[in-house]
Amino acid sequence: MDTLQFLADGFATAFHWRNLLFAFIGVLIGTAVGVLPGIGPMSGVALLIPITASITGGLPPEAAATSSIILLAGVYYGAMYGGSTTSILLNTPGESSSVVTTLDGYQMAKQGRAGAALSISAIGSFVAGIFAVIALIVVAEPLSEVAIKFGPADYFSLMLLGLCAVSGLAGKSITKALIMTVLGLLLATIGMDTVSGVARFTFGIPVLYSGLEFLTVAVGLFALGEVFKTILENDYSTGQTAKIGRILPTKKDLKDSAGPITRGSILGFFIGILPGAGATLASFFSYILEKKISKNPESFGKGNIAGVAAPESANNGASGGAMIPLLTLGIPGSGTTAILMGALIMYNIQPGPLLFEEHPQVVWGLIASMLIGNLLLLILNMPLVKVFAKIIQTPPKYLIPLIIAISIFGVYAVQAQIFDLMLLLGCGVAGFILARNDYPLAPLVLGLVLGPMIENNMRRALTTSNGDFMIFLQKPLSLVFLIIAALWIIVPVLLKKRGKEVVVNEEG
Amino acid sequence: MSLSPSFFNHRRCTTLNKVFDRYASIVFLLLGIGFMWQSTTISSSAYGSTVGPNIAPFSLGALLVLLSLRLFYEVLKSKDQSSKEEKLDYKRFLIIFAAAFLYAFLLETIGYIIGTFLFLLVSFQVLERGKWLKSILISGLFAVGVYVIFVVILEGSMPGFPSWLS
Repeated sequence: MDTLQFLADGFATAFHWRNLLFAFIGVLIGTAVGVLPGIGPMSGVALLIPITASITGGLPPEAAATSSIILLAGVYYGAMYGGSTTSILLNTPGESSSVVTTLDGYQMAKQGRAGAALSISAIGSFVAGIFAVIALIVVAEPLSEVAIKFGPADYFSLMLLGLCAVSGLAGKSITKALIMTVLGLLLATIGMDTVSGVARFTFGIPVLYSGLEFLTVAVGLFALGEVFKTILENDYSTGQTAKIGRILPTKKDLKDSAGPITRGSILGFFIGILPGAGATLASFFSYILEKKISKNPESFGKGNIAGVAAPESANNGASGGAMIPLLTLGIPGSGTTAILMGALIMYNIQPGPLLFEEHPQVVWGLIASMLIGNLLLLILNMPLVKVFAKIIQTPPKYLIPLIIAISIFGVYAVQAQIFDLMLLLGCGVAGFILARNDYPLAPLVLGLVLGPMIENNMRRALTTSNGDFMIFLQKPLSLVFLIIAALWIIVPVLLKKRGKEVVVNEEG
Repeated sequence: MSLSPSFFNHRRCTTLNKVFDRYASIVFLLLGIGFMWQSTTISSSAYGSTVGPNIAPFSLGALLVLLSLRLFYEVLKSKDQSSKEEKLDYKRFLIIFAAAFLYAFLLETIGYIIGTFLFLLVSFQVLERGKWLKSILISGLFAVGVYVIFVVILEGSMPGFPSWLS
């Protein structure tokens, strides 16, 4: 009964006019981010952190955190709705998680069934979104009660597991992914050490004492990195969009996609919980699954509605599932959730098992608003899908400079330091160069966010054991986490050695 | 990008850039050594704990050294692949980047409104010549709009105009 009471309180929070407005703005921007090919959910969320921080500046900290995280999460799952629009109409995925949707979605559009494809993907996303939130409500509290018993050694190993999982699945080369992880962890050590108060790697420069600001690095790497890529690759042509036609799906469409939506939601949700695997993998696997169990697999790729319904449900289910490790364990499993976590930490709210006890307003407000947000998204994406299709035609030549201007404004509004603006531009260039050469950026951000916590837990564990590193192997839970972490790195390497194709995740 | 199954191959394939990776491995190696070296100058004990603030950076630096050696080895071992480099539009990028740099660097001196207006105007014109009226209108509306919302309504602090003007 406790959970229901908390949920009711959550709804009270979510129905506050400000939070309703923020949820609406969040999902609206999220859909736009999903529709616009140049901006992914990671850069969209990163870009909006400083904006929301400055808007909520005058509120009490907890209310500000609630409203901000409601908006930012809205961008995250809203992008999963919008991503399908360009896949279907343009054959260009708006996000990596909608790549599979192009296969059947664009074929459907060519056959004049674009409206049906769009509405089925909206319905699928809605079902999956609601399913994921309900599962989150059921699982979250018990899971956080288990996690609360973790000691520092267990936590250290669990976070290591999270890092290994993300590195093992990110990008083509595990070595490169691990380098980015370690680099993120190293960058996190710059500044004042929180345990002993000793300054590290500051070289007497005052601005470095507070460390490299996570926000600046994230906005630079993702938002500016992508913008620079668009400019350099001269990639701002707008294609011809297909006609949408009749929006409502037929009875047969609904019947054909009921199964795929159900399977996609469940599969996506569970893949989303796994650290490292995200929306992209979920959509991919659910497509494969549908093709495997279909009576006529040859119809896939020729406009089979199941090929749209399943992956679109799966990527939304995964984005909901990914919230579970973030909220209950404090371990983000993907780049976007790492950024969400960074946002929460900015408001002095530590995700993890204590979150449900210490800040019930924030968590339950967020959960309730996700239910509302999904409903808003269904409304936005069914009748208004034609309006969003117009967004595709936004000329990038206006969008690109505006994104740069918004990044600079946002970072300066929060940090008020020219140093951060320079760091921002530097990270933008680094983000472009690294991503271009297959160095994944998500592990770096993850390392930067988790770095201080990993180090604190390690040192707390080592203090109790008088500096004996064996403590991580003696605690049974910690040992299990470490074994899984090692397997996560070793197994893909072994598979690659044996010439197997390993599916890797780009971003979840 | 990195989805490997064969039917994703229509996406841009970035071939392994050996030259970049070789230089990158050296840079990472030096970074790792640098972090290890600098962490020896950090005091090694913390109050009541045998584990000081130098342990984590030192071991991470060592890990980075090992990984960069591994990367170097991987690059040596990998077969030569013809890299199909796309031509990059350096000219536009450099102009916009320089404009952004000046905008950021001089933000406090020339103020938000003038800086933003000029930066946007220059960038719009670099990406597409002409349509001056539209460019001026969008730049002006954005610069003034953001300033009014942030400073006047939300009471944030942002240098609006150059100090010698106000």
